[in-house]
Amino acid sequence: MSATEGKRVQPGAAVARWWRAHRWALGQSLARLREHPLGTLLTVAVMGLALALPLSFYLVLVNLAHFGQVLGEGQSINVFLDASATPAMATLLAQGLRAEPVVAAVVVKSPQQGLAELASLQGFGPAIAAMPENPLPWVLVVEPRASAGTANVRRLVARLRADARVAQVQDQGPFRDRLAALRAFGGRLMLTLAALLALAAMLVVGASVRNDIQGRAQEIEVLQLVGAGASFVRRPYLYAGLWLGLLSGLVAIGVTLALEAALAGPAARLDAVWGGRLGLATLDPRPLLVMVLAAAMLGWLGARLASARHLAVSEPG
Amino acid sequence: MRCRMLCGAHRNGIVIRFEQVSKRYPAGGAALEGVSFALEAAEMAFVTGHSGAGKSTLLKLIGLLERPSSGAVMVAGRNLRQTRGQAIARHRRAVGMVFQDHRVLLDRTVQANVELPLVVAGVPGPERARRARAALDKVGLGGMEQRLPSRLSTGEQQRVGIARAIVARPPVLLADEPTGNLDPQLAVEIMQLFAEFQAIGTTVVVATHDLLLIKRIRKRVLVLDHGRLVDDVPAGEVAA
Repeated sequence: MSATEGKRVQPGAAVARWWRAHRWALGQSLARLREHPLGTLLTVAVMGLALALPLSFYLVLVNLAHFGQVLGEGQSINVFLDASATPAMATLLAQGLRAEPVVAAVVVKSPQQGLAELASLQGFGPAIAAMPENPLPWVLVVEPRASAGTANVRRLVARLRADARVAQVQDQGPFRDRLAALRAFGGRLMLTLAALLALAAMLVVGASVRNDIQGRAQEIEVLQLVGAGASFVRRPYLYAGLWLGLLSGLVAIGVTLALEAALAGPAARLDAVWGGRLGLATLDPRPLLVMVLAAAMLGWLGARLASARHLAVSEPG
Repeated sequence: MRCRMLCGAHRNGIVIRFEQVSKRYPAGGAALEGVSFALEAAEMAFVTGHSGAGKSTLLKLIGLLERPSSGAVMVAGRNLRQTRGQAIARHRRAVGMVFQDHRVLLDRTVQANVELPLVVAGVPGPERARRARAALDKVGLGGMEQRLPSRLSTGEQQRVGIARAIVARPPVLLADEPTGNLDPQLAVEIMQLFAEFQAIGTTVVVATHDLLLIKRIRKRVLVLDHGRLVDDVPAGEVAA
C-alpha cells in the first residue's frame, strides 16, 4: 500500500495539499509564459490594445457627459412673467419652482435688475436712458438639475408655458435633447465595441492557450497516466490565461493613460478657451481596477473554453 | 490522498481479477479473448507471449487505459468497467506504470520527471525531493537528478520511467517490457528491484518476452497466445 494512499487525510492537510497543487500550477503557468516571451508579448499586446479601445472610448464619453453638464449650466430656462405680475407673484412662483425635484436653482430678476444688466451692455445705455418707463417684466432664471433628464425638463417647460402668470418661456430644450441622444448613442456604441473587443480578446487568449495545450500533448498524457485529474491538468492553463488577461489589462490602462497624456495639452487649451469651466475629466481608479479584473476574467474564461475540450481526463477506450 | 482505491488489497487477498475478459478493437480484431485469472496482494507475475499476444492490452486494462469489450476487470474488488471521471484519476494514482517507450518528459529534469506522481498526490516539496532521490538511487541514477533526460541514454531514460512508477509506492505496479532497452545485468537488477517491491506488499505485473529473465527471477508466469491465456505457471514450477 502506498504511503500516499494509505492515510486518512485531516482537513488541514487537505488544505495544504490544495495549496501545494495551486502553487505548483502557478509556477508552471509563469514558467510557460517565460518559455515563450515573444508569443506572450504579442498576445498581451494584441489583447491590451483591443481592451484599450473601449477604455479610451469610455474616457471620451466621460468627458462628453462632463461637457454636457458644463454647457448645460448656460442652458437655463428663462421664464418671463406677465407685465402685470407683482413682486409677490414672482416670489411665489419661484418658491414653487424651487420645490420641483428637477430644479437645481431659481434666480429672481426684477425689472430694475434686468434694465441695469441691459444698460451695462455696450451701446444700450443712452437708449435705455431715453425710455419713459421700464418695459421689462419680472424674470425667473431656472437652472435644471444635471440629472433631471430631458423628458422631465420638457414637462416642466410645458407646465410653465401653460401658466397664466407666464408670458414667455425661453428654453434650449432641443440642445439638451441632442446632447442626451449623443450620449446615449456613444454609450451604446461603447458597450457594443467593448463586448466585441472583449470577445476578441478572449479568443486571442483561447487560441494562445490552445496552442500551448497542443504543444504539450505528451506532458498532459503523462500527467493523466500518473493520476492527475482534469482540474489538476487544466489549472496551469487557467492560470496562464489569468496572467495573460491581467497583463493585457495593465497594457490597456497604460495605453489609455498615454492617450490621456497625449491629449493633455490640447485639452488644456480647450479648457482655457471656455474660461476654465470645462475642467476635463480623467480616468479615476475605479474603472481602471474594473478593467484589470475584467481582463483577468476574460483571460481565464478564454483559457477555460480552450481547455474544456482538450483536457478532459482521457477516458479509456 | 483519501484511501478510496486499492486500500482493501491486503484484507481481500485478491487484488486483480480478470473474469472472461475480451478486448476487441474496431479495426484490429481481438486482442484478448476470454481471459480469466486472479493475482493476490504482494504477488508478482510475468505476462509473456509473442508480439501481438495481448500482453500490453492486459496491462492497459489493469491500468484503466482501456476498457474490456466484455467480461470484468476487478481491481481491489472494484469493477473498472463502472469507473468514471475522477475515479479514473484516483485509480491511476494507485497504479504505477512503466512503459516500453518510457514516456519521460525531455524538457524536464530527471528529478522533475520522477516527482510528477508526488506532485499530483500533493506531497510537500522537500519530501518529494527526498523520495525522488531515493527512487533514483534504487534504479542506479543517483546524482543525475538535475540532468535533462534528453542527455541520457535510452536505458537511463527507461530507468527514469521506472523511478517515476515506483516513487509514490503504488500498491500495484505494471511494467510493459521495462527491460527492453537495458543491458542484461541491469535488467536483472531492475527485476530484483520489482521483487523487492513485491516483498513489501506491492502487486507487480511485468509484461516481457525475455524468457531468460523469467527463468532467472522465477515468479508466476501467465502465457498469452493470440489473446488467449494458454498457460498459468505458478512461481514454484518455473523451470530454472
